[in-house]
Amino acid sequence: MRLCCIYVPQLALQAVLRRAPELRGIPAALLAKVGKGKPRVSELTSEARRAGVAAGMTGAQAEAACPGVRLFESTAADREAAEGALADVGFAFAPRVEREPERVFFEVEDMGRLYPEGEQAVAQAVQAQAARVGLEARVAIANDKGTARVATRARDLAVVPAAPARARAFLAAVPVELFTTDAELRAAFRRWGTRTAAQLAELPPDAVALRLGEPGARVCRLARAASSSDDEPFMPLLPTDALEEAVELDYPVYELEPLSFVLRGLVDRALARLGARGLACAGLTVRLALDPRGLDVRAVPIAAPTRDAATLVQLLRLDLARRPPDAPIVGARLVALPARARPTQLDILRPAGPAPDRLAATLARLAALVGPDNVGAPALEDTWREEAARVAPFPISAAPPPPSSSSTPALSIRRLRPAQEIEVLVGREGPTALRGAATTARVLVAAGPYRASGEWWRAPEEGGSWAREYWDVHASDGAVYRVHQDQRDGRWFLDGYYD
Amino acid sequence: MLRALELDPELASRLVTAQRLEERRGHRGSGLPELDALLGGGWPRGALSELAGRRSSGRTSVMLAALARAARAGEATALVDTGGALDPRAAEACGVPLPRLLWIRCPAEQALKAADLVVAAGGFDVVALDLGDERPRVPTAAWVRLKHGAERQGTSVLVATPARAVGAFAAAAIELAAAAPQFESGAAPPLLDALRAKIVCLRRAHRSANDTGELRAPCASVAFTCRS
Repeated sequence: MRLCCIYVPQLALQAVLRRAPELRGIPAALLAKVGKGKPRVSELTSEARRAGVAAGMTGAQAEAACPGVRLFESTAADREAAEGALADVGFAFAPRVEREPERVFFEVEDMGRLYPEGEQAVAQAVQAQAARVGLEARVAIANDKGTARVATRARDLAVVPAAPARARAFLAAVPVELFTTDAELRAAFRRWGTRTAAQLAELPPDAVALRLGEPGARVCRLARAASSSDDEPFMPLLPTDALEEAVELDYPVYELEPLSFVLRGLVDRALARLGARGLACAGLTVRLALDPRGLDVRAVPIAAPTRDAATLVQLLRLDLARRPPDAPIVGARLVALPARARPTQLDILRPAGPAPDRLAATLARLAALVGPDNVGAPALEDTWREEAARVAPFPISAAPPPPSSSSTPALSIRRLRPAQEIEVLVGREGPTALRGAATTARVLVAAGPYRASGEWWRAPEEGGSWAREYWDVHASDGAVYRVHQDQRDGRWFLDGYYD
Repeated sequence: MLRALELDPELASRLVTAQRLEERRGHRGSGLPELDALLGGGWPRGALSELAGRRSSGRTSVMLAALARAARAGEATALVDTGGALDPRAAEACGVPLPRLLWIRCPAEQALKAADLVVAAGGFDVVALDLGDERPRVPTAAWVRLKHGAERQGTSVLVATPARAVGAFAAAAIELAAAAPQFESGAAPPLLDALRAKIVCLRRAHRSANDTGELRAPCASVAFTCRS
């Protein structure tokens, strides 16, 4: 089995740089609190290291060494999001991934057809994908997890040969310190004068096991390229159902504009992760942490899966503008629901229609503009009520054209929604005059009544039963109206007019 | 065999069939032969067209006939409906396949913006903008933007208004005079049978360099049958 390992050194620092990419290329360091003492530098960029900052310094010492160094504290939200993004890099290449702190493993055995250039090309593609989600990663491909882990410590990009002899030669020059993080083992190997894997491989494994136990023997097997999946089984998992991006703010945000800026960053990062897996966003949930306590949770429906960040941010903005949060915001967590971007097989002989991606984005923009309940395909309700109609989701994929029906032009009616209550003068032959907000006119011809009733089984709180008498009236203003009288209370309503 | 070809959706959406190419050059059928004759082939492609008419003039029926004609040909269609006046039962009776019609209900002030978004998405063959019963105040720039969008995408945009509003931006314009309702005379009580609309062509797209668009007898009469 060939396994790929992606290792992100200093993941906590990279999580901050991923959230704030403008900090790349300038001296920056991460402060972490250990025990009761002052926070000390735990991770730092190469620029900060060159400027004289070192791990273990306090914030003041770091600023003294490098005036202008940017100091940060790691937040759980940043770290969780970066770990999720790292896993998504793996899921971009494999359906199942094993996660470790700062690392993921996945199988690349069967990627030869996608990357005929070889495993080096696979490793380069993985590294490029990690860069796309904002992570600087080291990538190695090897026969087992242990060897891949050692290779990522040794090089930025490594492909350990599959053949044991060549793998042993590949590892020969790697320092012993990179084979284990156990300080006691490192000290023991140093005492014995072993500096490289080649020297370590010459030690008799049984003797090492006798003196250092199983951990020592495993290090020896690694150095001899004799390690196998029995030492460390590969235990991959499927991806989670939803994808989360979060941010904790240093200060409360009171207004919509700066909050939109924060949300834009979350959406961009979430879409980059979804894009890596070839997915689109089908739904959003935002959890806003309020100051001093409390949560504002809101679900934002999306008409169709989309990868258009501007549309998603607009939807969020509109939702926030419609229902502003009750208190200032101190944190935000975005949960994006992944969905396949719908592939569509179009017909070469029939009209193509809108491109699915663009249509999905347009539907989302329209939903943001007029509300999601007002965009879709018209659909009939299962009722005898004439005015009943609903909006169904608009199908993204092109349905086959329906068969042609009769070509004689039919008369349409324009509905007033809701029906307007009007006053009607009634003679022996039916309505003789109408008066309402929409019209005031004499009735020239009245056709009717057409009686309709139904839904007697409904409880009054659900709308109850209905019984109506419909009339089509030609009024003196030239229009032909559809009116009805409610048989329960005698009130008259204007339903619309034929047009 | 051709149908077995698998094409990238983005690429396929750019493919133009020979039939569509032929239609794209000029006009698209309005679904009403009398109106097609009046307009010189139908509604112009890649342009704004205007239908003006008061209540019960047949304006909505003419608009739905155009949508039905395009949808039955497999084209994507959209209706921007101010006030939500569309009756899906009536639309279905007019021949509109409901799942192929994108229905956008919105107030009048958002209608132009919504139409602009739909046209800009591309791939919609007919986009109808129904401005309802009120004569809207639309800035000139909005018509210019919509016209350019229609030209870019090759979309026929039909604007239905109670009175003329699009002006010179419309490549074709018709006005519907007050229609005469026809009741079944033998029935007692009478039944609404049809609405006979009188269509007057005010402006039409030029078909050739010699065609000035002027009509000597720019009128037609269409009877819309009541099927409810």
